[in-house]
Amino acid sequence: MRCLLSLFVLLMGLFATVNSYAADAPQPALTTEDSSGPQVVQPIEFPHDRHAGLRNPSDPTNSDPLKGGMEIDCMYCHTYARRSAVAGIPTLQKCIGCHQSIESVRNKPRIQELFKYWDAKKPVPWKKVHDMPDFVRFNHERHIKRFVEQQNRPTQEACGYCHGDVKQMTVARRSKGLTMGWCANCHQKDHPVTAAGGTPVGNQAYWYSFQKPVAGTAGGEVKAQDTNNIKAQGPNDCWQCHK
Amino acid sequence: MIDSGLDRRDFLKVLGWGGAAAALSGCGNTSIEDGKETVVSYVEAADYAIPGIGVYYNSTCAQCDAGCSINGRVREGRVLKLEGNPASAINRGKTCGLGQAGVQHHYNPDRVREPMLRKGDKFETITWDKAYALIAEKLNGAKGEEVAFLSGGVSGHLKVLLGNYLASIGCKNHYVYEALAPAVARAANKKAYGIEMPRFNINKAKVVLSFGADFLGSWVSPVHFSQQYAQFRKGVDGQRGVLIQVESKMTLTGANADRWVPVRPGTEGILALGIINELGMASGDIAAAVKGYDRIRVSKETGVPPGQIDKIAALLKLRSPSLVLAGSAAEGYAHGSQNAAAINLLNHVLGNVGKTIEASSSVTFTQMAPAKGNTAALKSLNDGLAAGKYKVLFSYAANPVFTAPGALKFKDNLAKADFKVSFAHYLDETALQADLVLPLDSALEDWNTQVPEYMAEGAQINIQQPLMEKLHANTRGMGDILLALVKQRRAEEYKSFDDYYAYLRAAMLQNKGALGGGGADDDTFWNDTLTKGIVKLAGSSGALSGKASVVGLTLPAPSAADAQYPLHLIPGVTASLRDGRHANQPWLQESPDPLTTIVWDSWVEIHPKKAAELGIKEGDILEVTSRSGSIKAQAYLFPGIHPDAISVPLGRGHDALGRYAKGYGANPFQILDAVFDQETGELAMHETRVKVSKTGQCVIVVKDEGSAGGKQMGRKIAVSMSTDEVDLSKEV
Repeated sequence: MRCLLSLFVLLMGLFATVNSYAADAPQPALTTEDSSGPQVVQPIEFPHDRHAGLRNPSDPTNSDPLKGGMEIDCMYCHTYARRSAVAGIPTLQKCIGCHQSIESVRNKPRIQELFKYWDAKKPVPWKKVHDMPDFVRFNHERHIKRFVEQQNRPTQEACGYCHGDVKQMTVARRSKGLTMGWCANCHQKDHPVTAAGGTPVGNQAYWYSFQKPVAGTAGGEVKAQDTNNIKAQGPNDCWQCHK
Repeated sequence: MIDSGLDRRDFLKVLGWGGAAAALSGCGNTSIEDGKETVVSYVEAADYAIPGIGVYYNSTCAQCDAGCSINGRVREGRVLKLEGNPASAINRGKTCGLGQAGVQHHYNPDRVREPMLRKGDKFETITWDKAYALIAEKLNGAKGEEVAFLSGGVSGHLKVLLGNYLASIGCKNHYVYEALAPAVARAANKKAYGIEMPRFNINKAKVVLSFGADFLGSWVSPVHFSQQYAQFRKGVDGQRGVLIQVESKMTLTGANADRWVPVRPGTEGILALGIINELGMASGDIAAAVKGYDRIRVSKETGVPPGQIDKIAALLKLRSPSLVLAGSAAEGYAHGSQNAAAINLLNHVLGNVGKTIEASSSVTFTQMAPAKGNTAALKSLNDGLAAGKYKVLFSYAANPVFTAPGALKFKDNLAKADFKVSFAHYLDETALQADLVLPLDSALEDWNTQVPEYMAEGAQINIQQPLMEKLHANTRGMGDILLALVKQRRAEEYKSFDDYYAYLRAAMLQNKGALGGGGADDDTFWNDTLTKGIVKLAGSSGALSGKASVVGLTLPAPSAADAQYPLHLIPGVTASLRDGRHANQPWLQESPDPLTTIVWDSWVEIHPKKAAELGIKEGDILEVTSRSGSIKAQAYLFPGIHPDAISVPLGRGHDALGRYAKGYGANPFQILDAVFDQETGELAMHETRVKVSKTGQCVIVVKDEGSAGGKQMGRKIAVSMSTDEVDLSKEV
């Protein structure tokens, strides 16, 4: 009994090991490639393009939904992104706040559906489109601070780094990889792993040992004391995302 | 127990392979799941509610009576974590493990959710209106003296409202029962110092001599004392304080002591008098009374070597002020009050009264002062029930079917009451016997005020407020229930209060001036009070009035050996489980006992010498038999216990309460004899004598300490040494 049980568990383990070697390279690859997620069916087909899309110059009254958007800033609705780690979903109150005074679309089926939820005081059960694994903690606030507030980049560009060109979508769809290799691709550019600029220490080596340091202090060589003395900070610290 | 033969070592090896495999397959693009989970937004959100950002509210911990103020983190409408409120003088921003587990009380899956009425052997769900009507109907058929109300310790506005309700139904039988309250200490302190609960300044003492007071673990206000203890160890004038603990079973405090003195159970008072005699500082009556207690006699009676008594006396003489504490282990005997009096006398002789023992402040609103729980109340209730005096019995915050000594036959007597109403969080043993069970809000959903028995600095009233919305629609706050019930009788008087919150607010605002809110408008005062969670008062500070007196102090000779039941049973009080009311919080079950590191089960602590004598080894299932019954539990060889005693921890061994409590361990309350302290009538918890016998079964003790099964596989990792081989006096 004992042998059988051990053998079974062991074999399952080995099987999984071999399987994972075959399926995935042990080293996560850096990638900038787009990789689209599945088309997600939402309870209300929210048209991002109509809300955030660019105005049509030949249609100043913005009357034709097929030809232009309203250039609403992402953060008008996703208001929590600049204040919290999570972007949150806009409150139903926010939708109603505008739509109760937009008579022209009041009788459209999607808006009627929206008001049904509001009258019942029930939240809309949206489906998550960008769902990170539970061991990953992405901080929206930090990225907005950096790109929008410090570097004055347009909101749609900053959000778009990870969320893609939402202003052209109806229902949002994931268009970036959002794997660790994908994240690190940007971070390698702006926070290169050098002895001078923050050589990873401790557990970080697990990830960064896959990547060669770009340049060392002297003659491209990384000295032992450098690696020991320099503490990695910010995005090079594993703990920032894996808390 | 593992039957398959796959032992822990093999299991870990195999698991290691599996784990490595899982880790490897975890790298790469595997875990992004789009469009599967639902993300729910607020319909309407308050400005301060930001997803991902916590909001903090102050409230009061309800896990024990110490009255620590807590600060709860609430995110997305859910309470996640409790910490201490730094503004409270009692706990100064800290909490204990028991307090941390408060969230598991709130989210517990076994909470009662609907009012339930007994139908034969089963309960059926009824509405609140029906339940209230039923109570009114039953009370109409009973006279005031035929109604009894059993509760745990209550204080604040809830106590006032409860008193008013009982007055409205003409009931004078309010029994306040706490299984582990320091009731003998209260009486002894009242005699010695003039107040029941003076302020103990451990931090100002240079030596603390504690007779079985586990002040770091479970005695009175452990979080407060732990902080005092830290200061005491840093020392007054740079001199590190010395802690001496006298007890028959090592507690958490005993394990921290510089000198742990095992004493023959019940002879603590004799040792105290022996120390007074050895000090030679007393005069007059006292000197005459202790004259007979010379070191040789005392040593013979207590089992403490004369050299130890010398050292203790010398240390107390050398370093002043000191502090002598009498705890439940010294007081749990038929002569418990005498023991406590002898120990308190030491403080007088050493001149500690007024220095390390000071008058405490009390809240000027005496009607809000705590109704203090004790075990004498249980006895009179039990006698009343046995005589068939009561037709209607209410019970709240007490579980006597579990905690009453088996010898009282409480469960049988309870059946003699016609209609039993239980206000319950869980279907515990007492609620299961009830005819009507009314579900309560958790402590994190309910409104209340609380006045702690032990005041750390000035007096304070603690505010308990909801940290989040109710989890279950049909639970009610105890205050709301009492208000609804009192309205049945005095509708006119209480008609202006829609709910308990309105009552509480009005009552507080009425005394705004006295509560320190003079000048502020109502809303400002109220919001300020809720924000702080504590109302600090100047309070009235009574003076210490007791005198050193030996009048009536007579200690019996050490009890003779009992041939049939040779061992003393010491019910162990652990810091996390106490009397067992929170045993259904898995964090408490899984946190290892600090001394034995055992989890999820009960054990019998037995001295290695005694075990060798009886042929007992670790893991043997022992049957512990007293005159009142027997229980079975695994043996644990423990050098920190007197060889003439065994100890079984309290709190486990439930046969109801919930999935994490039911069926784990054994309940030593069941086998306690009904012996009472002669002076106060309190239950003498340590008077039970037992015998142990092996059942022949043996298990592997599940504990953190040592390697699996207590075997070292031939390796000498750590050499164990029994306490009598260690000369602790060298360490001091």
